Amino acid sequence: MSILRHQKATNKEPWFAVRRDLSAKRASILSVISFALPLAIWAGVSYLPFLWHPDVRLQLSADRGDVTTVYIAGDRVSKGYFPTFTDAVRKQNAAIEAQLKSADPLAGVSERSVRRSNKNILRHLAPVLVSNGRIKDDQKKEDALIYEVWRDIAEGTWLPESPALSDENLAIVQRNWAAMSAVSKTYDSDNFISVPLISLIPQGRSANPDYLPSPDQVATAGIKILTEPAEGDRPSMLQRTGHSIRIVFGGFLLAAAVGIPIGVLCGTYSVFSKLVEPFTDFFRYMPAPTFSTLLVAIFLANDAPKIALVFVGTFFQLVLVVSNTTRRLDLPLLEAAQTLGANQWQLVTKVVIPGILPNLYNDLRILLGWAWTWLVIAELIGVKSGLTEFIETQGRFRNFDMVYPVIILIGLIGFFTDQILALLRGVIFPYSEEAAAASANPLIKALLFIPRWFKDAVEQRLPPEPATTNSTSH
Amino acid sequence: MTPPLIDTIDYREQSPAVKDRFDRMKERPVVLSVENLGKTFPTPTGEVAALKGVDFEVYRREFMCVIGPSGCGKSTLIRILAGLETESSGQVLLDGNPVAGPGPDRGMVFQSYTLFPWLTVKENVMFGPKMEGKSGSAVEGEARQWIDMVGLSRFENSYPHQLSGGMKQRVAIARALANRPRILLMDEPFGALDAQTRAQMQSYLLQIWRNLDITILFITHDLDEAVFLADRILVLKANPGEVDEIIEVSVPRPRRLDQAITPEFVATKHRINQLIHPESETEEDTLPFGRMTVEGDDVE
Ligand SMILES: Nc1ncnc2c1ncn2[C@@H]1O[C@H](COP(=O)(O)OP(=O)(O)OP(=O)(O)O)[C@@H](O)[C@H]1O
Ligand SMILES: [Mg+2]
Repeated sequence: MSILRHQKATNKEPWFAVRRDLSAKRASILSVISFALPLAIWAGVSYLPFLWHPDVRLQLSADRGDVTTVYIAGDRVSKGYFPTFTDAVRKQNAAIEAQLKSADPLAGVSERSVRRSNKNILRHLAPVLVSNGRIKDDQKKEDALIYEVWRDIAEGTWLPESPALSDENLAIVQRNWAAMSAVSKTYDSDNFISVPLISLIPQGRSANPDYLPSPDQVATAGIKILTEPAEGDRPSMLQRTGHSIRIVFGGFLLAAAVGIPIGVLCGTYSVFSKLVEPFTDFFRYMPAPTFSTLLVAIFLANDAPKIALVFVGTFFQLVLVVSNTTRRLDLPLLEAAQTLGANQWQLVTKVVIPGILPNLYNDLRILLGWAWTWLVIAELIGVKSGLTEFIETQGRFRNFDMVYPVIILIGLIGFFTDQILALLRGVIFPYSEEAAAASANPLIKALLFIPRWFKDAVEQRLPPEPATTNSTSH
Repeated sequence: MTPPLIDTIDYREQSPAVKDRFDRMKERPVVLSVENLGKTFPTPTGEVAALKGVDFEVYRREFMCVIGPSGCGKSTLIRILAGLETESSGQVLLDGNPVAGPGPDRGMVFQSYTLFPWLTVKENVMFGPKMEGKSGSAVEGEARQWIDMVGLSRFENSYPHQLSGGMKQRVAIARALANRPRILLMDEPFGALDAQTRAQMQSYLLQIWRNLDITILFITHDLDEAVFLADRILVLKANPGEVDEIIEVSVPRPRRLDQAITPEFVATKHRINQLIHPESETEEDTLPFGRMTVEGDDVE
C-alpha cells in the first residue's frame, strides 16, 4: 500500500491520456497483465465450480433400461439431464422392488439376462474403486475382486473416500450385498444371484465440457506429449515441430525469394506493375486451400504439396505488399539520386532496395504470420503430418487436453519468432528511429551477449561456465 | 499602384563598384541558357500551362534567384532544368549543349529532406562519386573536405535522423557539390527552417559560393532571402509562368545582414513586391470580415 502511494507521488502522468505513451514501467506491467488476465479467466472458469460448469462428469454410472444411450463413468452429461437420469434409475429400482414384492416376482424374465444385468450393476462400482486406488485400472472386469469390495463396503470394513458413495448408494450396496451374500459369500460365476439387484444411483460432480480442459490438465498433458520420445513411425513432438517449421519456412522463403524481386520491380516500374498486378490481384482471391487437391496431384506425396500450398497462400499477397511498400518509398529520394548521377540499375540496387528494407522487413514479419495459418491446411493435405496431424488425431478422440498444448506451442513459436524479429530490427537497421530504443533493450543486450559469450568460451578453450567466462570477458 | 510609404531610391541605380561587378559578370561565359521554355500539364479538366516563353541566361559564377507568387511555376522550371521533368517547348542549354534527363552536372537541393536515411553523413556525400564508379580513400578524403566545408565534421558518421533540419540541408548541399556540378539548383532549400536557422544558412551558402567556382540558381518566395543572396533576381508572374523582369540587385557585396535596411535593399525589395502583388490585397478595408469583438475588448 505504501509502495502504491509512493508511486503516485512520483509519477504524475495520468493513466488515461489520449495518444500518450505510458512510462516503460507501466507499459510492462500492463503487458504482464495482458497475459495474466486470460490465464486468470481460464483458471477461474476451470477451478471455481460456480462459474459456468454446465455439465456433470459421471463418477458412477448406471444403465437405463428405457433408453439405448449408454453413459459410463467419465462421461459428461448436462446439468439439465442429470436429475432426469438419476430419477429414471430410481424409478427403475422402485419397479424392481415392487416386482419382487409381487406374487410371482420372476415371471417372464430369463435367469440369464437377470444375471447379466446383475453383473453389470456389480461392475458399475469399479470406476469408483479405481479412483480410490482400491483396484487397478485393468482390474475393472475382475468380478471376484469387485465382489469382495462390495462385501467390505457393505460390512463397513472399507469405504471409498474420493469419491465417496452417497448415503443412498451405501444403502443400495448394503441391500444388494444382503441379497448376494444370501446366495454366496464369495464370487462364483456358476452360483451368481439370479434375483434382480437394484442399480446404484449415478453420481458425479460439476464439470466443464470436455473441450475446455483446466490449465493443470493441459499442463500435465503438455509435459507428457513434449517429453514422449519417438516410437515406431510416430514422431516425437520435437520432430513434429521441426517438420512444421520446415514447411512454413520452406514455403515462405520460396515465396519471398521469388516474390520480392517481382514486387520491387512492380513498385519501381509501371510496366511490371501493370503487367503483373492485375492478375495477381485476381489470383489472391482464389483461396489457397482450394488448390490442395491439384497440388497433391502435381507434387505427389510428402512435403512438396504442403510447401507449395504455403507458397501459393503467401506468394500473391507478398508480391502486392512488396510492390506497395516499394511505391511508398519517398519519390524525392529517387529524384535526388538521379540528380546525383545514379543510373537505372543503381537506382534499384542503391536506393530502392536499401530504402524499402526496413518496411520490407516488417512486411515479411506479417506475411510469416500468415504462412503459419496456411501451415494448418497444408499439413492436412496428402499424407497428414506435423503438429496439425497430432491435433487432428487427438481432437477426433476428444483428447482436448492434448490439443491445447499443441495449439499453444504453435502460437508461442510464431509469437517469439515475431518478437525476436521485431527486436532485431533496430540492430539490423541502425539508422531507423527504433535503433536507439532497441540497443537499450535488455533482451537485445542478452541476445547480443550470447554469441559473444560463446565466442569467448570457444576462443579461450574454457568450459563454458558462466563464472569462468565472466572473469575472462572482463 | 500604391505609392511607397517611405521615399526610396531607384532600384536600378548602381554604385560604380556594383556596376563594374555586373559588367565583369556579363563578360563571363553563359553556363545555363533557357530558350523560349514552355510547359503544359495535362489534367482531367484540360491542359494547364505552367510556363510560357521563359527566356534567360545564367553566367558562370552568378548567383541567380527566382521568385514569384505561389503556383507560378518555379518548381516546374527548376525540375525541367534538373531534367526531372521534360519541357513542352523550347530548350535548355548547359554550356551550349541541350540537356536531356537528370545528370550529375546539375546538382539539386530540394526543399524536402532527401538525405538517404540508411547512409551516414559521409556515405551520403560520397554517393555521387560512387555512382560514377569512383571509390577508395581519395573519394573519402574529398567527402571529408566537403563535410568540413559545411561545418559538420563532428557528424560525419551520424545518420540523418540524428541531425537537425538545417544540418540536413547542409549535408544535402555538400552532397550536391561533391559531384562538382556546373550549376547548383536549389528549390526553396531553407523553406522548412525557422527564421534564425535560415539566416544562418544563407550566410553559410554565400560563404561557400564565394570560395568555389560554382553557379547557383536558387528558388525562393522570400523577398529578403532573394535580395540578400542574389546577383540577379528573376521575377516570374503566374498563369502562365512568364518572366516579368530580371532585376540586377544593386546591394554591394560582400553581403551582411545589416544591409537589409540600406536604401538599395529596401528599393529592390519594394520593386519585387510591386511585381508580385500588383494591387495590395491585404488592406484592412478589403478584408471580408466584420468586427468580431465582445463588449469590454480594447480595440481601435
Ligand atoms: N504534375 C503536375 N500536373 C498538373 N499540374 C501541375 C503539375 N505540377 C505542377 N502543376 C501546376 O503547375 C503550376 C506551377 O506549379 P509549381 O509547383 O511549379 O509552382 P511553384 O511556383 O513551385 O509554387 P510554390 O511556390 O507553391 O512552390 C501550378 O498551377 C500547378 O498546379
Ligand atoms: Mg514549388
